[in-house]
Amino acid sequence: MLSSLPEAIGILLSLEGLLVLVLGTVLGIVLGAMPGIGSTVAVAIVLPFTLTMSQAPAILLLLAVYAGSVYGGSIAAILINTPGTPQSAATCLDGYPMAQRGEAGLALGWATVASVIGGLVSAVVLIFAAPQLAAFALEFGPIETFALILLGMTCIVSVSTGSVVKGLMAGMIGIFLSTVGGDPILGEMRFTFGNWQLFAGFNLLAVVIGVFALSEVFMRASAPLSRVSELVAFSGIVLPSRAMWKGRLRNLSKSVVIGNLIGVLPGTGAATAAFISYAEGRRSSPNGAGFGKGEPDGIVSSEAANNAVTGGALVPTMALGIPGDAITAVMLATLTLHGITPGPKLVDDNPTLIAAIFAGFFVINLLLLPLGMLLSRVAAPILRVREAFMMTAIVILCAVGIYFVRGNPFDLLVMGGAGVVGFLLRRQGFPMAPLVIGMVLGPTLELTLRQGLILTDGNFLAFFTGHPIALVLAIAALLALGLPVLRALLRRNAA
Amino acid sequence: MHRIANERVIVQLALLIAAAALYASTYGQSFSASDLAQSPMFFPRIILMLWMGLNVISLAQAVTEGGGGGPIASWTRIGAVIVAALIYTNVIGSEGFFIPSVLFALISLPAFGIRNPILVVLFAVAVPGALVLLFNHSLGMPLPTSRFTYLF
Repeated sequence: MLSSLPEAIGILLSLEGLLVLVLGTVLGIVLGAMPGIGSTVAVAIVLPFTLTMSQAPAILLLLAVYAGSVYGGSIAAILINTPGTPQSAATCLDGYPMAQRGEAGLALGWATVASVIGGLVSAVVLIFAAPQLAAFALEFGPIETFALILLGMTCIVSVSTGSVVKGLMAGMIGIFLSTVGGDPILGEMRFTFGNWQLFAGFNLLAVVIGVFALSEVFMRASAPLSRVSELVAFSGIVLPSRAMWKGRLRNLSKSVVIGNLIGVLPGTGAATAAFISYAEGRRSSPNGAGFGKGEPDGIVSSEAANNAVTGGALVPTMALGIPGDAITAVMLATLTLHGITPGPKLVDDNPTLIAAIFAGFFVINLLLLPLGMLLSRVAAPILRVREAFMMTAIVILCAVGIYFVRGNPFDLLVMGGAGVVGFLLRRQGFPMAPLVIGMVLGPTLELTLRQGLILTDGNFLAFFTGHPIALVLAIAALLALGLPVLRALLRRNAA
Repeated sequence: MHRIANERVIVQLALLIAAAALYASTYGQSFSASDLAQSPMFFPRIILMLWMGLNVISLAQAVTEGGGGGPIASWTRIGAVIVAALIYTNVIGSEGFFIPSVLFALISLPAFGIRNPILVVLFAVAVPGALVLLFNHSLGMPLPTSRFTYLF
C-alpha cells in the first residue's frame, strides 16, 4: 500500500480530489450542525452526487461528509443546546453552560481542537490497523468468516439501545430481507411471489434511507412541533491557549483512546463512545467536579471520543467488510455501487484506492480546523431553520438519492414502505442498526454457512471442533450475547 | 382490554403473522436441489424460525407490560405526512419528479406548521425546481419527467 502513496497523493491533489475534500467537509459540517439531519441522513443526501464520480473521490466525499457531520453536531449542541447529531449529545452538558456564560466561542474552540485531534489519531489507527487486520483475515475460510459475522451481529445487538430480544429480532428481519431474490448458490428465486422487481432483491440503500431518514421525518411528524431555538451570543471560535491545556492533556489522550477502541467494535458508534468517555472524564479528570456546569474537559471528553470513532469504525468496514453502524453500511453499499468488493482482499486488490482513502481521511480531519473556524459563523444562523423546511427537503432529497442509485422507481416504493415499517418499529423500541447490518451481512452469512456445511458434510459442530479461530469467535459471540442478560440480572439483584 | 389491544401488541402480532406466513410459503415449492444445505430455503427457514421464536418472547413481554409507542401529538399531521410521502414515492416514476415534489411540499410544509402561503409555495417550487435544473439540465443525470413535458 505504501508504494501506491505517490499515486494516491496525486489523486488527492487533483482538482476533483481537492474539491471533494473541501466541499465534502463543508457540507458535512453544515448538515451535521442542523438538528434532525444526523450523519446517516447527511451521507445519504450526498450519495447521488457520488455516482458521477470515480471511485476514490466518491468515497472521499462520503468520508468528508461523515467526519464533518460528526464535528458539525457540536455547533448546535453548544449554541442552541440541541445536538445536531446523537453523538454530540454529551457535548451539550458542558458546551451550552459555557455558551450561556458568554464563552460560546471558547467552547466551540475546545470542541474543534478536540475533534481534530481525535479524528487525526483515528486516521493513523485506520492507516496502521486496517491492513494488519485485513492480512490476518485473509487466512479465514468460510467457517471462520461465518463465526466472525456471528460475532459482529451479536456485538451490534448487545450494545443496541432497547432490549436484546428486539435487537435480535431487528437483525433477523434484516437478514431475512437479504434473502429475497436470487439464491446465492443456485440462483433460484425466493420470496419474489412472481414480482420481477424483486428478482435482484431489495435495494439496501432504499431500506437504509427508509428506516433511518424517512422514519425520522415520521417520528418528527408524530411529536409536538418544535419551536425555533434561541441562539446564544456568538462572534466566532476562540481557540484555547497552550496554558489552558495544562492538566487536560491526559483527559484528551484517554478520550481519544476510548473513541478508537469503541469505534473498532461493530455497532457501538460515536454516541456510545462520547458518553463512555464523558463518564470516564468525570471520574478521572482533576476538573471532574465541574462536569455539567460548563467544564472544558467535558467538551474535550465528548468531542475527542466521537471524532476518534470515525476512523476506528472504518477499520472493520475496510478490512473485513463488516460495517460497524448504519453510516459505514451506506459506505459499503457505495463501494459496491462503484464496483469494489469490500472485504479482506480490498487492501491487496485496490492499493491505490485504499492509500487515497486513508491519506484523504487524514487530510479531512486536518481540514476540520480551518473550515470549522470559518463555517461556525455561517452555520450558526442555519440552526434557526424551521423543522418543516428541513423535513420536507429530507424527503425530496432522499427520493432523488434513491432514484439515482439504480434509476428504478420501484426502489422509491421500497423506501416509502421501509419508512413506514421503520416508524412503527422505532415507536416500539426496535433499534434500526441491527436491521441494516443484518441486511448487509445476511448474504455472506448464508453463503459461508452453506459452504461450511458442504465442507463438513453437514456437521455443524465440526465448525468449531476443527477450527480454533471459529471456536474463539463463537465463544466471544456467546459472551457478547450473554453480557446484557448478565447485566440485567446483576441490576435486578442489586435492586 | 388495553393490555391486549394496544399498539405494541398489534405490531408484534402483525410481525408474527408475517413471519409465519413467509415460513409457510417456503413449503410446497419445487427446487432443483434436494440436499438440505443446498436447498434455497434452508437458510431463510432458520432465520424465520428464529424471528418467530424471538417474536413470541417479545409478544409475551408486550402483553405483560402493556402500553407502548408513546402518545401521538397529532394524528392528522402524522397521517397526512405518511400518506403524502407514500403517494409521493409511488407516483414519481409515472408522473415525474417535479410535480409530485411540489404537491408533497404543499402538504408537508403546512402539516409541519408553516402557515405563510407565500413561503410554502416558494419553497415547494424552488427546491424541486432547483434540483431539476441541477440534475436534468446541468449534471446530465435526468430525474423522471412528467407526461406533459420533457423539461420537468
